[in-house]
Amino acid sequence: MSGVEATSTEPLQVKEDQEFDVEAEDHLGDDYVVDPTRYMFYRDRKEWADLEPVRQDDGPNPVVKIAYSEKFSDVYDYFRALLKNDEKSERAFALTADAIELNAANYTVWHYRRVLLQALSKDLREEMRYITAIIEEQPKNYQVWHHRRMVVEWLNDPSEELEFIADILSQDAKNYHAWQHRQWVIQEYKLWDDELEFVENLLEEDVRNNSAWNQRHFVISHTTGFSDAAIVEREIQYCLNQIKKAPHNESAWNYLKGMLQDRGMSSQPGLLERVLELKETHCSPYLLAFLFDCYEDALENSVQRENAEEDERKETLKKALEICELLAQEKDTIRKEYWQFLGRSLKNRFVTGGSSDEPDVAENNKHEVT
Amino acid sequence: NQTTRQPKFEEFEQIDFLRDRHVRFFQRTLQVLPERYASLETTRLTIIFFALSGLDVLDALDVIDRNTMIEWIYSLQVLPTEDQSNLSRCGFRGSSHIGIPYSTKGPGVLHPYDSGHVAMTYTGLCSLLILGDDLSRVNKQACLAGLRALQLEDGSFYAVPEGSENDIRFIYCAASICYMLDDWSGMDIQKAIEYIRGSLSYDNGFGQGAGRESHGGWTYCAIASLCLMGRLEEALSQRELDRIRRWCIMRQQSGFHGRPNKPVDTCYSFWVGATLELLDVFQYTNFDRNRSFILSTQDRLVGGFAKWPDSHPGNWFDLPKWLLQENLVIDAHCHRQIKNAKSERQLWITTIVVYMGFVSSLLFFLSVERDFFVKVPATNTLKNSVEATGVEWS
Repeated sequence: MSGVEATSTEPLQVKEDQEFDVEAEDHLGDDYVVDPTRYMFYRDRKEWADLEPVRQDDGPNPVVKIAYSEKFSDVYDYFRALLKNDEKSERAFALTADAIELNAANYTVWHYRRVLLQALSKDLREEMRYITAIIEEQPKNYQVWHHRRMVVEWLNDPSEELEFIADILSQDAKNYHAWQHRQWVIQEYKLWDDELEFVENLLEEDVRNNSAWNQRHFVISHTTGFSDAAIVEREIQYCLNQIKKAPHNESAWNYLKGMLQDRGMSSQPGLLERVLELKETHCSPYLLAFLFDCYEDALENSVQRENAEEDERKETLKKALEICELLAQEKDTIRKEYWQFLGRSLKNRFVTGGSSDEPDVAENNKHEVT
Repeated sequence: NQTTRQPKFEEFEQIDFLRDRHVRFFQRTLQVLPERYASLETTRLTIIFFALSGLDVLDALDVIDRNTMIEWIYSLQVLPTEDQSNLSRCGFRGSSHIGIPYSTKGPGVLHPYDSGHVAMTYTGLCSLLILGDDLSRVNKQACLAGLRALQLEDGSFYAVPEGSENDIRFIYCAASICYMLDDWSGMDIQKAIEYIRGSLSYDNGFGQGAGRESHGGWTYCAIASLCLMGRLEEALSQRELDRIRRWCIMRQQSGFHGRPNKPVDTCYSFWVGATLELLDVFQYTNFDRNRSFILSTQDRLVGGFAKWPDSHPGNWFDLPKWLLQENLVIDAHCHRQIKNAKSERQLWITTIVVYMGFVSSLLFFLSVERDFFVKVPATNTLKNSVEATGVEWS
């Protein structure tokens, strides 16, 4: 946390004699500051003399005590004093900026600043500029994003948000706070129009950006939705194109599966074939897992169809078990135990005699406790 | 009978777990931190919690003065004022930063800005339990009133009554508080479940709220909350649970990452590992790769574990992760079963290490209705085993 020097909003008094007065350093009194760049403690500022500072009191045996400098303690001793009196003044507002600079994670300071913003009818546009600068410096702090949201709400003006967030994302394309704020702004103020394009640009830059894939799903589910077969086909095509460019991309496969898992994975016309084709040239653990899920889906549906071919089911089960073996032994060995577990579970469910009475797969494999 | 794989004696030769370094690391944590850790001021109680959990997991609570700590924690309780006008603001503070004079007794002091913080109430209660306190000085009704005041219509919670961001992390804190106080009047469970369900992403992980990207930390908060409430199988179907298991288990890369296509980070060995354990499938992860990664981040001089190999655990932002890793690493080596139900709760709580985003809190908890295999470090056992193989215990 950098110190605040003469940039503090407190006015400084300068002695006429510009010579540096060594003694003056040690006798900070009422009426002077020799060197205008020298920081002055609040306890020495005339305008604050009426206020009794309040020290932090951790009792006789403090735990996890933070060793603050004199400067830090001084600012916060006066902050505590203001708080106690619930003082609503310009000097209090100015002090909050100092306190924030020293510790922008102190939520009480932010709350107090908001109280003052309203009580003093402060210029909220200026506050937007202020919070913009702070977030640029500390983009992973919860308090600063919450503060920005409050100011945007008070102004009822989201017009700067999308551009600002885009700028933050250009520095870290996966910043969770930024994405959350973006979703809030879009949903609250109905700013859906250009978001799909924004997402596609980000995916052009980095097709593995999982946050962008998530945003894609967010936008579509809140606009056109996924019920329209044409939309689903478009999205399937989009996924497969991205997969061809970067096969080893869990995000694309998760999106594909996520979109289809409750719409019948195995019943999308031609999809299984397309994936089987890709398996030859663009294989990955995710592709194989997707195939497994398709086979599992097919088996579940065939259980319900009375005239399902027994042979067809056996063939599907066989293929699913082969995928498990392939994953366990070769393509995703870190999850070997898991793929073998899935294979066993599938067998338990669908080997002849498997009915609509599905045993709890996990229960079967729960370890016993003596 | 345990069906979980036991590490073999030969593997102990590869153990290079610097227990004493880690103990000293936690001890130092509990003493004084330099000013550059100022951002932790309002969350100091969570730091105590991490350090105490770590010491407990390492069976080293004897290095601290329990009573001193208990007193200090109680000084952070926001108690009702004489006229009880502040009940909706009660709970525990993160520290003395507001400037209330030190006191471990009521009545509460009237102050325009003093209130509890849900994560501090949670870690405060946990810390007291770890220290062997019986919570008799906790004003439970006040804590629960303070908790009720934080829940929103959509089921999520604020952190503080003045308002803050609201999301799934604080549902987890609330559920933990209700569990420890054994009183669910502190929250509307049904609404909380709705919020949790609403946070389930298309890819079968949980985000911080509806529509948000799925993430290991929030997935932990979701599943752990449901387990604490005893509603896991009521809130989620078997199909959904299987899909969630898949999302979680795909997070293992060597150690674990928190989101697809992100780098691994020691903390997710806990967040995701714990979730997998709660879902009965941690046994299917690769223990060796996970353990190797965690140990590779161990700081041999300072103690503690870093986010990644070759980075310094001096970043206190990552502190909780290290504490979590303590649990995981030890967990990877040895197990012990809990026998009786009464001490089970305390023992469960004492093995907790919590990590919660910026607040950094982690609770490893299973519902008492289920027979779970509890992993608790038995370091003496480990030490004896190691020495039996001729390897020196460091």
